[in-house]
Amino acid sequence: MEIYINGMACISHHDTVDENYFFEDIGSVPLNNQLIATEPNYKDHIPANLIRRMSHIVKMGVSTGMMSMKSAGLEEVDAIVTGTGMGCCEDTDKFLRMLLDNDERFLTPTSFIQSTHNTVAGQIALQIKCNGYNFTYVHQNLSFEYALLDAMMLLKEQEALTVLVGAVDEITPSMFELFYRGGHIKKLENVQPIWNSNTNGYIVGEGAGFFNISRIATPSTYAKIKGVKCIQGISDANELTNEVNSFLAEIGLEKDQISLVLSGNSGDVVTDKKISEFNKTINLPIAYFKHLCGEYFTSSTFALWLAANIIKRQVVPNAIFPDQAQVLNIQNILIVNHHEDNQYSLMCISKC
Amino acid sequence: MANKVFVTGMGIMSAIGNSVEETLYSLSNNRSGIEKIRYLETSHKDNFVVGEVKLSNKELIELAGIGTYNRTTLLGYIAVREALKMASITDMKEARTGFISSTTVAGMCHTELLYKGFFEGKNNENFMDHHLNGVSTNDIASHFGIRDYVTSISTACSSAANAMILGARLIKNNILDRVVVGGVDPLSKFTLNGFNTLMILDNEWSKPFDENRKGLNLGEGAAFLVLESEKWVKEKNKKVLAQLIGYGNANDAFHQTASSPEGHGALLAMQKAFKVAGITPDQIDYINAHGTGTPNNDASEGIAMQTIFKNHVPKFSSTKAFTGHTLAAAAAVEAVISILAIQNSMIFPCLNRKEQMKNLTITPVDTLEKNVSLDYVMSNSFGFGGNCSSLIFAKN
Repeated sequence: MEIYINGMACISHHDTVDENYFFEDIGSVPLNNQLIATEPNYKDHIPANLIRRMSHIVKMGVSTGMMSMKSAGLEEVDAIVTGTGMGCCEDTDKFLRMLLDNDERFLTPTSFIQSTHNTVAGQIALQIKCNGYNFTYVHQNLSFEYALLDAMMLLKEQEALTVLVGAVDEITPSMFELFYRGGHIKKLENVQPIWNSNTNGYIVGEGAGFFNISRIATPSTYAKIKGVKCIQGISDANELTNEVNSFLAEIGLEKDQISLVLSGNSGDVVTDKKISEFNKTINLPIAYFKHLCGEYFTSSTFALWLAANIIKRQVVPNAIFPDQAQVLNIQNILIVNHHEDNQYSLMCISKC
Repeated sequence: MANKVFVTGMGIMSAIGNSVEETLYSLSNNRSGIEKIRYLETSHKDNFVVGEVKLSNKELIELAGIGTYNRTTLLGYIAVREALKMASITDMKEARTGFISSTTVAGMCHTELLYKGFFEGKNNENFMDHHLNGVSTNDIASHFGIRDYVTSISTACSSAANAMILGARLIKNNILDRVVVGGVDPLSKFTLNGFNTLMILDNEWSKPFDENRKGLNLGEGAAFLVLESEKWVKEKNKKVLAQLIGYGNANDAFHQTASSPEGHGALLAMQKAFKVAGITPDQIDYINAHGTGTPNNDASEGIAMQTIFKNHVPKFSSTKAFTGHTLAAAAAVEAVISILAIQNSMIFPCLNRKEQMKNLTITPVDTLEKNVSLDYVMSNSFGFGGNCSSLIFAKN
């Protein structure tokens, strides 16, 4: 059984909601250590009376979900599966500060209500009146991958014909301070191209990516999903290579059928060590994406959106490809992602 | 998908006991765990009664014996340990083994103690190492060496039901041979104040399915079940506690926090569960209801039960007046209680109930019933975001 991406949308630091835009104007080095999302006009996707009460992450998630539906030409789906690594930070922060500052008095419920991790999935269900299967994964940097695995399993079980699956994360001033002081985020003066970095920390980002997947291809189909795999951690680059080889065998592909690898280097010289070593030894064209979207727990949504776009357009943007060699006839793209060397994931998509 | 899903182990930590055995003792002796706040540091100490696990963090650290972790991880670890022991599982590599945990606030109980100081520059402890939902899942999984499918779910108060549903599907799809599923939520100022602002907390003992119910009592806890495939159970000749025979997940799509008056999402979840189980509503012997004790939930859930069971609603009760509402853990806590009911031929009562609800024709079991043979038990869980889930356990 094949699984197709029939619609998708992405909010990221760049103007990825514009269908005609594909990173033509981008250099290889971001100018900041924090890549804030470029927001669409939310009124085009969410009723105005609801927008007012929604936090940043909820607006990003719901509008991206709605844009994906539109791109697939659908008004309803059988199931909604979402992921988020950090959840609703803005509302959590707001409610927590309010209760700590006022000694647990004079509190209002709005931010508490919207702080739950399943807010985005619930709000999308409300907006499109979807009574079907509704699930939210919160497993750090594998949140999206597990959501996608579930969505694919629903299609295989014939429980659903079309599923909306996606993930979203936001960076708030509090979270930035927390990760910056913890040494996770790069100092501004250390920002370099992520594939050639010798400094500590990553460039932090945020964004949302949603996909309409189905067992049936349509005229709007972008690509086929060949497989998704989550890995609880690896001991060295060799183990990553072995995992990739067994993954390719599972999905029935030879290594030389992979046209391009999208590598999840974050620019942190320490935690990128294994993936950088893997990139050097795998002997395939390597492209990068985290200098465009930043590092966040569900950045693999950006990678999948980028890969599906590359396959459909048959163009690799110069901004992501240090080799600048010409890659023609792009058949299969492998995404290898990780977050601070903790958990790894592999995703492979193919041309239809 | 012929592979049946069996429960072979369970573990629980809640206000009514630190093990399955203690839980059964409390349930069969009408001992509620809802008391004045003893451990949680809050200015509402005298305003509410809650269902705390009756151990301090220090005592939990000693009981777990794995080092210093926050309350979330410790509660979860102890419950998982009990479940694995009951299922006689020691070697994680002999079969494809997964771990699916769920939580709503994760390490918030720890975060809220450090948050203010951190941003005022008084301390530098990075509480993110404890805070995130996946952290306790990964810590517990790595302590037991589980690696094949490790993930975390958060669908508010239905979370653990969804962990069980996912686990069952992974077995039926032949992705795993066995999986530890459940949930954990510690009590925190964050949730206590959150539910308080929604005005759905009862200051006194909650009264599920009572006309004069005022709201819920918060609880905390962890509960986990070991699910194993029929094939693996037969191969290893394992003792079976019950079968997870049906499950359904649906969304009410009505309101972010409130349930629809007719309980549409609940109805759909129950219908799906019957379809998966391949049984009819009249075969259900007992329902462990979500029954939080809030005006909205019990009315909506009651109507949904009346609709799906027509004039033959089976015996039902909510056990939340024993444990408090343990949020993400609730469905797993109540799955353990449902299986205890099956094993011991008992129906545990809906405590504190006095007056019949006017908009319902049905009445819950409010005194302990013994010697009732239970072949099929249904357990319901609903949450914010419209998430509704229903499970059916079978005796054999």
